[in-house]
Amino acid sequence: MTASGIFLMVSMIFSALSFIVLRISSLRGGKSIEHATPRGSAAAGVLYAFTYAFAPWAKESARRHLPSYLAGIVYHFAIFTMIVLLVLTLFALEFEYPADIILASLIGAGLLCGAGLLFKRILLAKMRAISIPDDFFSNLIVDIALAAGIVYLLHPPAAAAFQIIGGLLAIYAPFSKLKHMVFLFTSRRYVGRHFGRRGVKPHARPLGATHG
Amino acid sequence: MADSVLASGLSDEKVTAALEKLIKDLDDKIRAFLSSCVRCGLCADVCHVYLADNEVESIPAHKVERLAKLYRRYHTWLGRLFPHLAEAKPLTSETLIALEDAVFGRCSGCGRCALNCSVGLDPSAVIRFARQMLVSAGLVPKGIQGNINAAIEHGNSMSISKKDVVETIEWLEEDLRMTLDDDSASIPIDAPGKRILYALNPREVKFFPLSISAAAMIFHVAGESYTVSSFDFDITNYGYFSGDDKAAGEISGALLKRAEELGVEELVIAECGHGYRSNRWELAEWLGHELPIPVRSLVEVMAEYLRDGRIKLDPSKNTERITLHDPCNLVRHGGVIEEQRYLLKHSVTDFVEMYPNRENNYCCGGGGGLLAASEHSEKRIQSGKMKADQIKATGAKVLATPCHNCIDQILELNKHYKLGIEIKTVGEVVADALILPGNSS
Repeated sequence: MTASGIFLMVSMIFSALSFIVLRISSLRGGKSIEHATPRGSAAAGVLYAFTYAFAPWAKESARRHLPSYLAGIVYHFAIFTMIVLLVLTLFALEFEYPADIILASLIGAGLLCGAGLLFKRILLAKMRAISIPDDFFSNLIVDIALAAGIVYLLHPPAAAAFQIIGGLLAIYAPFSKLKHMVFLFTSRRYVGRHFGRRGVKPHARPLGATHG
Repeated sequence: MADSVLASGLSDEKVTAALEKLIKDLDDKIRAFLSSCVRCGLCADVCHVYLADNEVESIPAHKVERLAKLYRRYHTWLGRLFPHLAEAKPLTSETLIALEDAVFGRCSGCGRCALNCSVGLDPSAVIRFARQMLVSAGLVPKGIQGNINAAIEHGNSMSISKKDVVETIEWLEEDLRMTLDDDSASIPIDAPGKRILYALNPREVKFFPLSISAAAMIFHVAGESYTVSSFDFDITNYGYFSGDDKAAGEISGALLKRAEELGVEELVIAECGHGYRSNRWELAEWLGHELPIPVRSLVEVMAEYLRDGRIKLDPSKNTERITLHDPCNLVRHGGVIEEQRYLLKHSVTDFVEMYPNRENNYCCGGGGGLLAASEHSEKRIQSGKMKADQIKATGAKVLATPCHNCIDQILELNKHYKLGIEIKTVGEVVADALILPGNSS
């Protein structure tokens, strides 16, 4: 394995361990347990939170800001693709035509979306007002990693640079807003359970039925 | 820290108490929420406060960020190592005062943002934790704290004496007998062994007795076995609003204890959004165990009567156009969504929905205890603009809502925004449409 490969692997192990520590640390605060007799189903609520709730038409906020919401979806698909690609570099896999072009296009679309969201954060006063430096830096480092991934796909000898940038990203992630990649799942589970138990999302009972 | 504390009048002890709350009492859920917000800003345009005032401080993400800055300072690596990069801030008297404006002045805890968060967190839960910190610091709006103190000292948030409750109920009972022309009609007080304890909002006793009359008439026609209580009858819970879980558990716990003393099978909550949420949902959390008896809203019980044929309604008795306001705590956080519609569609000839409605409704602006927080009354009326616009768009002459808190706010919106509507509880509309025994029309 190359030196950059070793750096990437160590970084990813560090990142994974850091996320485990973060989750354990959060859990030490105590799990939020609900005791009230449920009106609906917690499981149905969690299922809703991880499926239909992502649909752009399921949320007024997404409907009102459809370009931003869709840009976010494409951005995240590209990030996941880039992370998988990063792991595959450790196995020295090479992508031949047309796979390399397809993957580069997908990541490229994500990069454009990420850059667009970054410019939105820079240009709109409302966005600047709610942003912290980490918001800009996290977006930037991810965008650089996406760009490195594209370069690697089109020019495989650039793997070392991609691995070093990817490694730095992996080290930074647990310290930054990028940790939402783990805590998003916890948040959605709690919120899904809340609205599911209370029969709000999804609705617990049909019109006029009042027992339960 | 000492200088800033002195400057603002908050003692070191109070700031320390809030800090201890932040350090020791953050559970996994709130930590996850604070670690998840990416400040995408999509929540802005779904918040009734921001839509009304267009101030960035009112964006839900900004309100969450007030606490997140503190969280990062004391709970995260980046915040400890590079506080400038993470914008991690220490807890001071000033940050607490700014937090008070954000979580009391600019948020009713309606939770509309929770259904619209792109990440999937619940800003209203974060806001409530921030309120808990402010309880520790003694930074609760005076009116809210006054109602808590009254509820604990006198058994209800309006300090109504047992004698006044009994006199009011006896007067309403006499009125009920005259209305029904039936001397057997009664409103039992403190009667043990009944099926239901019907728990009241003290505002009904003091200012809106027609709501009690309407419920009594419906109970009578349905042949229900019920009683009201002359003390510890209060469904409201300002401890829930303030974030004071200890007081909140004590207040709702007293009502549950009264229900157990009377030996009822069920506790029925008068039309009140936060009263329902407090007693139906949150009380079990404050007590740490499932409740021994079911708790339902009067709206659910009335809908059951209608479905089971225990009451019959004549919609031709209510011919004016009527619309419905969904109280956030009853609907979005309570799950009582369709029952009020079922009742109104059978009670009136011209029912029209607001848009958006049900769990996607806009808060009227009066939630979160803000009606008792005179410090924030200007913002409260301003934040009701979305609701006022919704009401206007329906062209309705009457608005029904199963919540006295919302009624109080909408009464003020009615004047301020010149809506020209009559405001009723759902029970009052149902009572108007009630077909009385021996009267087929």
